[in-house]
Amino acid sequence: MSDTSIQSAAEASNRVRRKPKKLQLLTTLSGRQTMILGLIGMGAFFGLWEIAHLMTAEEAKRFLPSPISVVQALTALIQEKNFMADVGISAYRIFGSFFIACVIAVPLGILMGCFAPIRALINPVISGARYLPAASFIPLLLVWFGPTDSQKMALLILGVVFFLIALILDNTEAVATELVEAAQTMGASRWEIMVNVVGRAASPAIVDSMRNMIAVAYTYLVIAEIVAAQDGIGAVMMRAGRFLKVDVIMAGILAIGIMGVLTDIVFRAAAYYAFPWNRKRQG
Amino acid sequence: MKLKPEISDKEMITVNGVSKTYLGGKFTAVDNVSLDIIEGEIVAFVGPSGCGKTTVMRMVAGLETPTTGDILVNGHEVQGPGPDRGMIFQAYTSFPWLTSRQNVEYGMKILGIPAAERRERGQKLLEEVHLGPAADKYPSELSGGMKQRVAIARTLAQNPEVLLMDEPFGALDAQVRWEMQEMMVQIMDVEKKTVILVTHDIQEAIYLADRIVFYTRTPGRIKHDVYLDFKKGQRFTSKEDLLSQSGYLEVEKQMFAWMREEIQLQAT
Ligand SMILES: Nc1ncnc2c1ncn2[C@@H]1O[C@H](COP(=O)(O)OP(=O)(O)O)[C@@H](O)[C@H]1O
Ligand SMILES: [Mg+2]
Repeated sequence: MSDTSIQSAAEASNRVRRKPKKLQLLTTLSGRQTMILGLIGMGAFFGLWEIAHLMTAEEAKRFLPSPISVVQALTALIQEKNFMADVGISAYRIFGSFFIACVIAVPLGILMGCFAPIRALINPVISGARYLPAASFIPLLLVWFGPTDSQKMALLILGVVFFLIALILDNTEAVATELVEAAQTMGASRWEIMVNVVGRAASPAIVDSMRNMIAVAYTYLVIAEIVAAQDGIGAVMMRAGRFLKVDVIMAGILAIGIMGVLTDIVFRAAAYYAFPWNRKRQG
Repeated sequence: MKLKPEISDKEMITVNGVSKTYLGGKFTAVDNVSLDIIEGEIVAFVGPSGCGKTTVMRMVAGLETPTTGDILVNGHEVQGPGPDRGMIFQAYTSFPWLTSRQNVEYGMKILGIPAAERRERGQKLLEEVHLGPAADKYPSELSGGMKQRVAIARTLAQNPEVLLMDEPFGALDAQVRWEMQEMMVQIMDVEKKTVILVTHDIQEAIYLADRIVFYTRTPGRIKHDVYLDFKKGQRFTSKEDLLSQSGYLEVEKQMFAWMREEIQLQAT
């Protein structure tokens, strides 16, 4: 073999190397890059929406309003229809019911994860209940509570609590056995281990589960506020629907989307500051 | 440097005809093991993988109950885990949500030791395991060897009578393992514990232990129980000192021969 063949092989590999592929496995982006790509993605979404609006026949345009007119509808709602009060009521229903769901699910999930008999007792009921569509409880809840806030919050709770328990059970079971055994050999009590070892170890995963399940709670919001509701974002959208005000319906969707994104950010920030020990190591 | 271990004649751990079966008695992991371990001794459990070393240690720790037989530690029958028997696991068990210092103080907190005393003893132990500068770091910021040192300091902080170590350095690379072994010799000179060390690393066993209990392959029985007489009752702070002892090579060869016997039995 001559030198030239070696050289050409080296050149060939150089040629490959000079053009780094954009989509490499296992790469990370800086915060700035992530934000720019995110903005591009959002821009593309609204751009496609605008194009779709422009391409819609003139007489059908009111059924697919442009993004700008949806934003205008949202500001008009806020300024003229006291929409923030409805947002407040919806937020109260979401957060209130989610708080109650957590108060039930966190201790129960951890208890089930720690003690096999409790798990064996409760798990069949929980697993079964997850398959029941929450909306099917609406007639029952209306009979029990009437068209009240309690009825709507009960629906939101039913929609998430069983999933939340199942997720927290998983989070708890995922805690390394060695951590529990190490605590046992140190003479820690069962209560101490449940709260300060298993609970602490599982807490970042539990907050993650909560973050995912509150997103599900948002998906139930409109269902809860469509039936027998005078106030809340869902009720506003239902009323707009009756008058075919598509821009107002979309403004409602947009409002829920914004609330959802803000909720997600709050959960992520809370996890970041509450669990400094769990932060991913920065490269 | 050569150190003189402090070994009394008091029996610290007594294992009386202990067997352990799994799968409802269908599988015997440990078969009729009896052992007396004297206060201050460092005993290594050596044997082929899966022979039951960990199982015997876990029964001494109280994490597993013997199917037959019983175990006494310092005259009391083992009923369950307790802080008189500290255990170091192969997996890293330093609590990730606590800093090194908080980890080391955790065990003392469980025992109800007052904060000022915890702080003082914690600091002393952190320095003993060379973690002074990393006292306020979380385990995620530490290397494997450092995490293991946190676990060692946390266990020693409870001042247990017995130290149970299950392949404590098994997950570490060779150089770090060597550093940890030498550190252990120094620590044992200060803390003076009765130690059971489970290892499949023959050199590690010869370096650290005063006595080696060699197990047969499954079901685990004691094949040989030997004192390392060539060490003349000494421990060595450097591995080179050990290697230059006359008789070292014979012992190492013997261990490899025993290991080969067990592994070859398995192959047939
Ligand atoms: N909980 C268990 N159930 C069934 N078999 C087990 C269990 N724990 C250990 N064993 C078996 O017992 C034997 C001894 O295991 P172990 O004490 O961990 O071995 P060593 O530590 O010597 O490698 C192995 O064959 C292992 O598979
Ligand atoms: Mg083992």
